[in-house]
Amino acid sequence: MTGTNMAGLVGRGEKRTGRLKDLTVRWSFMAPSIVLMVLLLAYPIFYTIEISLTRFDIATFSAGAWVGLDNYREVMDDYRFWDSLWVTLIYLVIALPLQVALGFGIAFLINAEWAGRGFIRALFIIPMVVAPVVAGGIWRMMLDPLWGIVNHWLGFIGIGPLDWFGDPALAMATIIIIDTWRWTPFIVLIATAALLALPKDVFEAAKIDGANWWSTLWSVAIPLLVPVIAATFVIRWLGAVKMFDIVLASTYGGPGKATNVINLFIYEEAFRSLRFAESAAMAVIVLVLTMVLTALFLRGTRALEDRY
Amino acid sequence: MSITVNQPRRRRPVGHTLRILGGVTVSIIFLFPVYWMILTSFKQQVDIFTSPPTFWFEPTVAAYAEYMTRADIVPRLVNTVIVATLSALFSIIVGTMAGYALARIRIRGASAFGALILLSRGVPPIALAVPMFLVARNLGLTDKHITLILAYSTFLVPYVMWLMRSFFLSLPKELEESAMIDGCSRYGAFFKIILPISLPGLLSTLIFSMILAWEELLFALVLTNRNASTIPVAIAGIAGDTVNGANWAALTAVGTITVVPVVVFALLVQKWLIKGLADGATKG
Repeated sequence: MTGTNMAGLVGRGEKRTGRLKDLTVRWSFMAPSIVLMVLLLAYPIFYTIEISLTRFDIATFSAGAWVGLDNYREVMDDYRFWDSLWVTLIYLVIALPLQVALGFGIAFLINAEWAGRGFIRALFIIPMVVAPVVAGGIWRMMLDPLWGIVNHWLGFIGIGPLDWFGDPALAMATIIIIDTWRWTPFIVLIATAALLALPKDVFEAAKIDGANWWSTLWSVAIPLLVPVIAATFVIRWLGAVKMFDIVLASTYGGPGKATNVINLFIYEEAFRSLRFAESAAMAVIVLVLTMVLTALFLRGTRALEDRY
Repeated sequence: MSITVNQPRRRRPVGHTLRILGGVTVSIIFLFPVYWMILTSFKQQVDIFTSPPTFWFEPTVAAYAEYMTRADIVPRLVNTVIVATLSALFSIIVGTMAGYALARIRIRGASAFGALILLSRGVPPIALAVPMFLVARNLGLTDKHITLILAYSTFLVPYVMWLMRSFFLSLPKELEESAMIDGCSRYGAFFKIILPISLPGLLSTLIFSMILAWEELLFALVLTNRNASTIPVAIAGIAGDTVNGANWAALTAVGTITVVPVVVFALLVQKWLIKGLADGATKG
């Protein structure tokens, strides 16, 4: 009662200042991040675009004369750029589904109820916090053709010795193995939580109806898990497009250019060959590609979530 | 308790045991590389380069003693601690406020901005590294801690925003509504009510941010060379040293120094870490 009377007595001007104050408070939560992101994210991206449209002046170390789309044309004609994109694509197409499938499979295994379950789950944090550059280094040692322990063990079952870093296909396998080792535990932890959150009664019902293991998996568990699987895939995708450290520390793009993923290629072009204009053009192309694909994946996830 | 634990065990004994065995085997496989790294870091050169690889040897700390001085490991370690801590703290403040705004405060245009920031998690760092290097060079800001801290916030702030937004969305709305009816300002509700109960989520996000900054390589390679250089740069240098051949003693010793503190830290807060991780992925 008194509240409404008070509100009625407040003058129009005071109401406006009140609203203005409220608006300021609201925006003050958002403003720091907006300023930061504009300065540190938007501005560098626009600067990259500017550099990509000019001839880079190495003397002043800044954008020089305007050349239009010349850099883009040059990059598009560069077979090394296409090779590198192709290598990145192969890595993504193999590694992402592999890691998501492995992650959920392992989560199923370690979710078995027994005394050591919590302990094992905690252990899976460990590979996840090993710096990727260290992971690349350790595996380089373990996969060494001469002294590495992996080839030694493979010898027991009559395989090898494999030249993990000399053969192009094996080198691709190498970076995928290392990447999978480093990132699958992350998916395992998400998947463990997702599996625990599954409704138990649905499975009881399936069992009573006489559904076997396989059909329970395909018709009950997987449909329920589709939203989480999709979300995990997107998160993993966001990390995988940044693939750089592991390759740098293990194969350094070799042998030849067999594992030269796009981030390493652009890095080399910019900071070793000092071809800033061309690498800016490549960065813009990669940026657009990843943005479009990320938006598509996010939309796909949403659609899947609505459907299931 | 014992009845509920025993029941499923009786129902499917073989499959259950196989699952446990499989789980244990897989975790041994996943842990072995870390174990092997730590083991190798205590070996002498003779024991490293031996075939077959050995598990039993006279342990030595020679590698630690030698490479702690040679590769400037101590100053780099200090730099990494400074940069990881400050960038994580800075990002958690900025990102948490924005995450709260996106989850709870109605601002015109904010949701579009939020979507943009989420999308920005897909920006390849190399697209930022080139212009940042050029700008930092022209402003004389290369090889400074502040440059790395700001560079790291480009991926940490969106990360914190994403996680904290979903965390705040999971809290009941009545919490701050009743607080604000009771006369709390929006700030008061946020700092006195929301933040304290968000502490687990905040802590796990903070730790993850620190780990992300701790292990970052690309920006550190590009933006630093001596004064502010970090540990991952040193490791990349050792691993990529093809001139002197594989220096595994150095690699494993420095690798162990890099990894062990983070592992201990992460295991200490593992419960929150797993929860934060799972929430971030499933409630998005």
